[in-house]
Amino acid sequence: MSFRQASVLPGFGLTFGFTTFFLSTMVLLPLAAMVLAAGSMHWSDFVHVVFSARALGSYRLSFGASFLAASINLVFGFIIAWTLVRYEFPGRKLIDALIDMPFALPTAVSGIALTTVFAQSGWIGRYLEPLGIKVAYTWLGVTLALTLISMPFAVRALQPALLEVQRELEDAAETLGAGRFYVFRRIILPTVLPALLTGFSLSFARAVGEYGSVIFIAGNLPMKTEITPLLIVIHLEQFDYQGAAALGLVMLVMSFTVLFAINLLQAWGRRRHLQAASS
Amino acid sequence: MSIILDQVTKHYGGVPVVNDVSLDIGDGEFFVLLGPSGSGKSTLLRAIAGLSGVDHGRIALHGRDVTHLTARKRGVGLVFQNYALFRHMTVADNIEFALRVRHVRGKLRRQRRKELLRLVALEGMDERLPAQLSGGQQQRVAVARALAHKPEVLLLDEPFGALDAKIRDELRRTIREVQRELGITTVLVTHDQEEAFAMADRIGIMNLGRLLEVGAPHDLYSRPATRFVATFLGAANLILARRTADGIQVCGTTIAAADRTPAANEHEVVAVVRPEEVELAPARAALTTNYLAGGVVEEVVFTGALERLRVRLDAAAHTPLLAHDGSDDNASELLQVTRTQHEQRGFAVTPGQNVAVGVRRVHVLPTPLSSFTACAASAQLAEALGREPLLVELAARMKTRITTRSEPKMGVAEALCESADFVGTTVIASQTDCAHRSEWLLRRGARDLLVLPAGATAPQRVLIHWMGEAARNATLAMSASVLRHVPAEAVYVGIFPGQAGGRGPHGMRELLDARSEAQAAHGLEMRTEMRFGEVAEELARRLAEAPGQMLIVGVTELTRFAERFRALLDGGQWPVLIVYRGAP
Repeated sequence: MSFRQASVLPGFGLTFGFTTFFLSTMVLLPLAAMVLAAGSMHWSDFVHVVFSARALGSYRLSFGASFLAASINLVFGFIIAWTLVRYEFPGRKLIDALIDMPFALPTAVSGIALTTVFAQSGWIGRYLEPLGIKVAYTWLGVTLALTLISMPFAVRALQPALLEVQRELEDAAETLGAGRFYVFRRIILPTVLPALLTGFSLSFARAVGEYGSVIFIAGNLPMKTEITPLLIVIHLEQFDYQGAAALGLVMLVMSFTVLFAINLLQAWGRRRHLQAASS
Repeated sequence: MSIILDQVTKHYGGVPVVNDVSLDIGDGEFFVLLGPSGSGKSTLLRAIAGLSGVDHGRIALHGRDVTHLTARKRGVGLVFQNYALFRHMTVADNIEFALRVRHVRGKLRRQRRKELLRLVALEGMDERLPAQLSGGQQQRVAVARALAHKPEVLLLDEPFGALDAKIRDELRRTIREVQRELGITTVLVTHDQEEAFAMADRIGIMNLGRLLEVGAPHDLYSRPATRFVATFLGAANLILARRTADGIQVCGTTIAAADRTPAANEHEVVAVVRPEEVELAPARAALTTNYLAGGVVEEVVFTGALERLRVRLDAAAHTPLLAHDGSDDNASELLQVTRTQHEQRGFAVTPGQNVAVGVRRVHVLPTPLSSFTACAASAQLAEALGREPLLVELAARMKTRITTRSEPKMGVAEALCESADFVGTTVIASQTDCAHRSEWLLRRGARDLLVLPAGATAPQRVLIHWMGEAARNATLAMSASVLRHVPAEAVYVGIFPGQAGGRGPHGMRELLDARSEAQAAHGLEMRTEMRFGEVAEELARRLAEAPGQMLIVGVTELTRFAERFRALLDGGQWPVLIVYRGAP
């Protein structure tokens, strides 16, 4: 690799230096500190904290609900992005702006708002109650909160990709005899697949790390509706820094694994593309 | 017939983008739809493909009415300007797409693919991705893909637009060869007249949503019927001339017209002189052709095979040259000339040189609208009338001129006209005693009279009616001419005396006769309406129903004219064009 490359912004050396500096001080260094803190633990203590029934329950909820939320966002995020890209209707700009609301709101506000609506006496909760569906203070509520706050990531990742799907491609496919579902499966989906995966991983990552909105609607019952970030905070409140770091390490490893797997999937898709091209 | 379009109409936001288009395209024919951008040609192609619906009319492919079928069931192949290849698929998958959709077996698919790749000269490119091909190759793939399912009709939407000149030439030849080999009916849309000439069996020229003229390239070029076609297909000098008993009189010289139609009486016409039909010589005596006028060479541009010149004709010749293209006002006074190398060697010219100008061949447009004469009681009023927005717009669209004429005694009984010579269409302002003035002018020789209310704008609907069969043909010709320049719908209003239902079946036949004659003889598509009552009153009532309407009315009889037309003309808010064809 050469450090002399022509570019609009001057000084590859300078910009590259800043990039590594930023990543080091803001991301890698704190993470390393956390790993060190966890590493200073005794092995049996570490296992005790990390594999306690309460911790295992929290992983299941955190990653399960995040996965579910990201999947929901994949489907509905696609629909929203499609609507915004493909149709002209009054208020389109407004809706487009509203998508970003969860970005801007303090997550606690989203949590409180959701709880108000979905609590047993809330606007929607009171109608779900007779049907036997409880949202607030169950895993459903957790999923709902995570879906809400990670939705913008899916929509914003998909929008530019959908803009690129030319109408002409669909027209061409239609004149060649393809039905709507066929066009969707064979033309639209393959074109936006990388963006779908990006949207999925972004909203998954956001959901796993979410704390503020969940604690209001979750009820936080150990083993049932307690997410891992909350468990970490509980450890911290008891001044158990090492226990918190240990749980943090587990989250780090698991999140990294999932994101890495998605990245591999994307790379594999690209390679397959190129292979087809070069053979 | 392979493709039949019957009165196809498509509106976007109330504006007709495809306006009453009827067309038959034969089996195996290569048909080119030619027009400027926004003329509706692409929309028409999409309508044939089934990608956009039509608001009115019928489309049939190979005898099957497909008006309400979706694109996937029409069995057409469509090629887009930007190729529209599926970028994540290989060339093979792109070409086999239509076959996969139809669940054709693998072996047959491969066989068909090889066949198509050979046809478009892309053998061995099967496994490439579109991104690895040049533009020309991508378009070849697109053509192969469009042909995979053996469509009955191949549609090409500006397929060469994104390619450079050399590739374009090659691909044109390939497509023409493929088309001949398969004998497939093909419609190509383009704005490039050279492309149209190079490829077409027949060309259809569209403007403002209307299909103006259809014909073989050579016929359209040498005998255009409209000024739009004359100037859009190649360059043309439009000259106001007079048709006399002997021929065509241009600037005092009479030239035998190529097409001899007996002219009942002398009148103004629009003559087309192609730049290559002009001869230049050092002096009048040296001309081998009809002398037109003397002139001064203003500009000489050498373009390889041809030399392009602009010649300013002597003011003394009073040659009423019309603008060739609306954009360049200055050019309207200059005659365009092109000369071959051979002619250049015979008589070399330089800018500033005096030359004698001759004309080999003159073609006269059959349009009855030659120019406008704004006529008012004083020169000042006439000037003001000549600046009316609708009149200015019409003249600009027709590339014609507006002259003025003052008639101080207009409307004074027994008074004579300033001159009995009425040139083109006479225009008067709409005012209180308009009907009376109209009669006065018509009785003194005006034949076509436009009554124009102040501030009128281009109409959305033109109502057509004639009183007396003698005016039928002239009214239809005039209507067709007006509607070629205005994006409005045409409605023939049949009016019968008495109450509704009184003359039902008979009236209906009259309406249908009128419609089919308009279409057959003048290329004018019009709707029909039936009303009952006194003619002028009914027309006035119909005009008052909606804004943005105009009336074209044929008249054969001037008895009690002012009285009869008072309701229609006096202070009306609508433009009325009177076509008078009666005994002078």
